[in-house]
Amino acid sequence: MIPFIQLFALYVIFHGSLGPGGGFQGGAVFASSFILYIVVFNIARGKKRVPESVNMALSSAGLYIYAGVGLLSILFSLGAAQYLNYGFIPFTSHFEENRALGIDLIEIGVGMTVMAIMISIFFDLAWDKGKEKEG
Amino acid sequence: MIRFKATALILIILLGGLFIYVAEDIPAFGDPNAPSIRAVKLFDLHAGPSENILNQGAIPGALSDALKKGKFPPPSRAEKVPGEERQWNIFIPKNEAHYAREEKYYWVVKEGDQLRIYRHAFVVRWFEKGLKETAVPNMVTHGLADYRGYDTLGETVVIFTAGVSVILLLRRRGKL
Repeated sequence: MIPFIQLFALYVIFHGSLGPGGGFQGGAVFASSFILYIVVFNIARGKKRVPESVNMALSSAGLYIYAGVGLLSILFSLGAAQYLNYGFIPFTSHFEENRALGIDLIEIGVGMTVMAIMISIFFDLAWDKGKEKEG
Repeated sequence: MIRFKATALILIILLGGLFIYVAEDIPAFGDPNAPSIRAVKLFDLHAGPSENILNQGAIPGALSDALKKGKFPPPSRAEKVPGEERQWNIFIPKNEAHYAREEKYYWVVKEGDQLRIYRHAFVVRWFEKGLKETAVPNMVTHGLADYRGYDTLGETVVIFTAGVSVILLLRRRGKL
């Protein structure tokens, strides 16, 4: 079940430009697949699968991708300083298709951040019986 | 306790009154007289002979004077709305103070002997040029990630901040 949910989440993220969907929704679906894993097994195995360090790294990497695409477009706009105007990044030879690809890139960034943050909030709020006894 | 309950009751009545007062001004859904989303009305003008001038693609003098008097951006040329009688789109010239490109800006409708001057809303431009400018067919996506890119960056930062603050508050690992 879980790989299918993840496949669907990736579909939602990448088809955000064609049909309904986008980074926020796809990230939420992706996070829900991991939350399902944690509910079915337990928190310890879930933490082995998605360690906290990886989680935090993913969430900040998503933001860095977003801001970095914006900074790249400053670099490639050659003095015009058009932050987040993706058309200047030379993915292809067409200005408009560059914008479409830039949108896809930042959707990936948004999806990573949303997924990692939702998982980390779930880990923090989840009831851990073993730790409850320790205090 | 009774005093507390009485105060709460008075507060509820006051808030209810305030709500009714505010809610009365909200136009009913589907009200034909409610302001439209497509365009914003600016003013009326006596038509005179302007229909022929507009049909030839030029701007009548009275209209450009009235626009100048109202401190609206100056018009450059007119174009008939395709498929409509007595309706024209008026463009503003290149390198106007706020728009670098030539933009479709005014919408003129002739009713009787009055010219009604409207301003196109941003939505119209979004509909017509979004696909051409970004090559993304989904209107929501190119609005969210391209035209409103700064806004979405801010939203992502808000989500990140929420996660970090939950970590700071709840994940103390035996400290404190």
